Amino acid sequence: MEKKSFKARYNEEDRYYDNKGYSSVDYNYTGPFLPDVNKMAAPMICVPGQRLCPDNEKVTAGRGTYSRNGFVYSSLAGYLQTAHSEDGKNIIEVIRDGDENVVPSVDAIVTARITNVSPRFCKCSIIKVGKTDLKDSFRGMIRREDVRATEKDKVEMAKSFRPGDIVMARVISLGDSQSYLLSTAENELGVVIATSEAGVTMVPVSWCKMKCPKTRLEEHRKVAKVQARFIEYSGSGP
Amino acid sequence: MAEIHLSDAEKTFIIHGVQDNLREDGRGCEDYRHLEIETGLVSNTSGSAKIRLANTEILVGVKAELGEPYPEKPDKGRLEFFVDCSANATPEFEGRGGEELATELSSMLARAYQCPSCLDLRKLSVVEGKQCWIIYVDVLVLEYGGNLFDAASIAVKAALFNTSIPTLTVSHDEGHVEIDLSDDPYDVQRIEVTAAPCIVTLSKLGHSHVVDASSKEEACCLARLMLGVTEKGTVTAMKKEGSGSLDTSSVEDMLQTGRRVGQALNKSLMEVLMSDDKVGKKQHLTGFLR
Amino acid sequence: MAGLELLSEQGFRIDGRKPSELRRIRCKLGVFNQADGSAYIEQGNTKVLAAVYGPHEIRGSRSKILHDRVLVNCQYSMATFSTGERKRRPRGDRKSKEMTMHLQQTFNAAILTNLHPRSQIDIFVEVLQSDGGNYCASVNAATLALIDAGIPMKDYVCACAASYVSDTPIVDINYLEESSGGAELIVATLPKSEQIVFLEQNSRLHEDNLGPVLDLAVKGCKDIHAVLDQAVKDHVAEATAGSSIE
Repeated sequence: MEKKSFKARYNEEDRYYDNKGYSSVDYNYTGPFLPDVNKMAAPMICVPGQRLCPDNEKVTAGRGTYSRNGFVYSSLAGYLQTAHSEDGKNIIEVIRDGDENVVPSVDAIVTARITNVSPRFCKCSIIKVGKTDLKDSFRGMIRREDVRATEKDKVEMAKSFRPGDIVMARVISLGDSQSYLLSTAENELGVVIATSEAGVTMVPVSWCKMKCPKTRLEEHRKVAKVQARFIEYSGSGP
Repeated sequence: MAEIHLSDAEKTFIIHGVQDNLREDGRGCEDYRHLEIETGLVSNTSGSAKIRLANTEILVGVKAELGEPYPEKPDKGRLEFFVDCSANATPEFEGRGGEELATELSSMLARAYQCPSCLDLRKLSVVEGKQCWIIYVDVLVLEYGGNLFDAASIAVKAALFNTSIPTLTVSHDEGHVEIDLSDDPYDVQRIEVTAAPCIVTLSKLGHSHVVDASSKEEACCLARLMLGVTEKGTVTAMKKEGSGSLDTSSVEDMLQTGRRVGQALNKSLMEVLMSDDKVGKKQHLTGFLR
Repeated sequence: MAGLELLSEQGFRIDGRKPSELRRIRCKLGVFNQADGSAYIEQGNTKVLAAVYGPHEIRGSRSKILHDRVLVNCQYSMATFSTGERKRRPRGDRKSKEMTMHLQQTFNAAILTNLHPRSQIDIFVEVLQSDGGNYCASVNAATLALIDAGIPMKDYVCACAASYVSDTPIVDINYLEESSGGAELIVATLPKSEQIVFLEQNSRLHEDNLGPVLDLAVKGCKDIHAVLDQAVKDHVAEATAGSSIE
């Protein structure tokens, strides 16, 4: 019955939807979209190329899926998950166990280590995107005008970052072929970990200064105002 | 070789542990990691073996071909080593990236096997000065998890043990030599490998030394001593590697440890190979399907 | 190859298979820990390992960078002991370079390349033992390795070869059938949508026979897909069972 209705909806040239396409291999096609898969006893295993549901106004293709010719397909091997978005749509996602592959995307918050500071910009290597550690680092760059939101022309790079600092930044563009362009022009972004000249981890004292607990010397940095609720402890356990 | 970066604190932790005969994975200084070995996996070779030493995975294939002996050794067969570091192990090996390590490994293997007592190459001679068996030992590094040299040498020994060469009959006919290949696939000769060496790598960590270093331990080790040790404890080859230096007394210590460990290693390897051989072809090969 | 009968009077092939029968396929995902994804496949006596790394920043020359999609980098190599006669070099010869290019083409068509712009995905294929159908086994192994690595793909890619012997199309040909001088048709498809992403024909085949041979090869791809699909589902189920116990 369903086959017929699809045939009526899509033209004959699209070989994908003719009867032949259904017959030989089990497509796990479950008819028009399942109302709520999360309620099912065992989550459904999806494989790349598996048709999940028709792509209409009610659904959005989320992570691990793509839409083509009016259907949503899985692009990963994993489990089907649905969620309701704010505008009342069903978001369909395929979730994979284990680590995800991420590359920095525009607007993502990244963690980076400063490698090189020059008067006009500083270079860094991106080591983390969101909460996911990267296996390989990506090159990033923070230009002088992207360090802070106000008084951009008075920024001095050497008073904002030093090599070795760990900064939180936002990706503003994919940049040129060399590196991603990052910005720290928000209160929550900037240096989060820095070592003083004496080799001790410094504590922030204001938005532009950090203090060495050993020598009591203050050093200039573009300090991030880290929100307590975003702090995450990892590693050595409890 | 995936580079591992360790902080000074981590290095100190590992080195201090080793001084107390306690390593980060719970082993003692002279213990090897878990080792799995399987022979006869690749059916179109004369002999093959696969070894998995923790995360290091090596496949060795042996092929016997007829060829000409070296002019300076007309009464001996030839043993040729070739190592390929597959890019599967790490992307850095792509293209020609693994060649340096491969050359180092193959020359070390060749050096260890050069000693005339460890493999009787005269048995591989067919017609003196004209024809002999060339044994190509091809080592394929599939995954790198530290201690490549030891693993490779163990796999080579196992593969040579597994090797069977068809029996040849040579008939002389008025100065004309005729070589006949036996039709029976079971009419084969084996290679005697009891005296073949295994490489034992000793890594100097602090004031002590360890065998079978993991990648982490390799990262904080400055000097290594590689020894080719036979079952009788004969040292057939020796090579110092790494940027650090060793003094004569520690070389002596390491030599003693190496001989002790090497003898035990050869012994248990031969035991396993012998018992495997008795079970013969009936056993189910799992290979990579574990 | 005189006197060698590729198809017996009873309709069986040299290795005892029926014309439309595949060789036994055994495969495993995640054989290595170090790579982001890896897989091993055995199709009869052809044994192939594949490893996938990435997506990561472009390695080597940055001029290769693609601004709108990911760079799919492949390397095909054969173990020196994999063939009947010993090979001198594991890679770099004309045949392996061609194979590398073919793999690259094939997977560019299947990977959702626009998701990871300016990055690179490495696919390394190592043939451990070769008995015909190296390309096919390589593609199938690489597909499994990509799935293991979690690289978004449109669909599986399954490849299968077919030939035409004494008026009968035969599928999944082995080395003897491949080297007998008959026609060889190699097809890689996206099995669910029946899209052909790679097609190559060696030697001569009558136009009238192309249809049946191609159909059989595509059918072979679908059958291979069913096997791979099961392996992937088992692997995913197993992985989750393991993680839920922890």
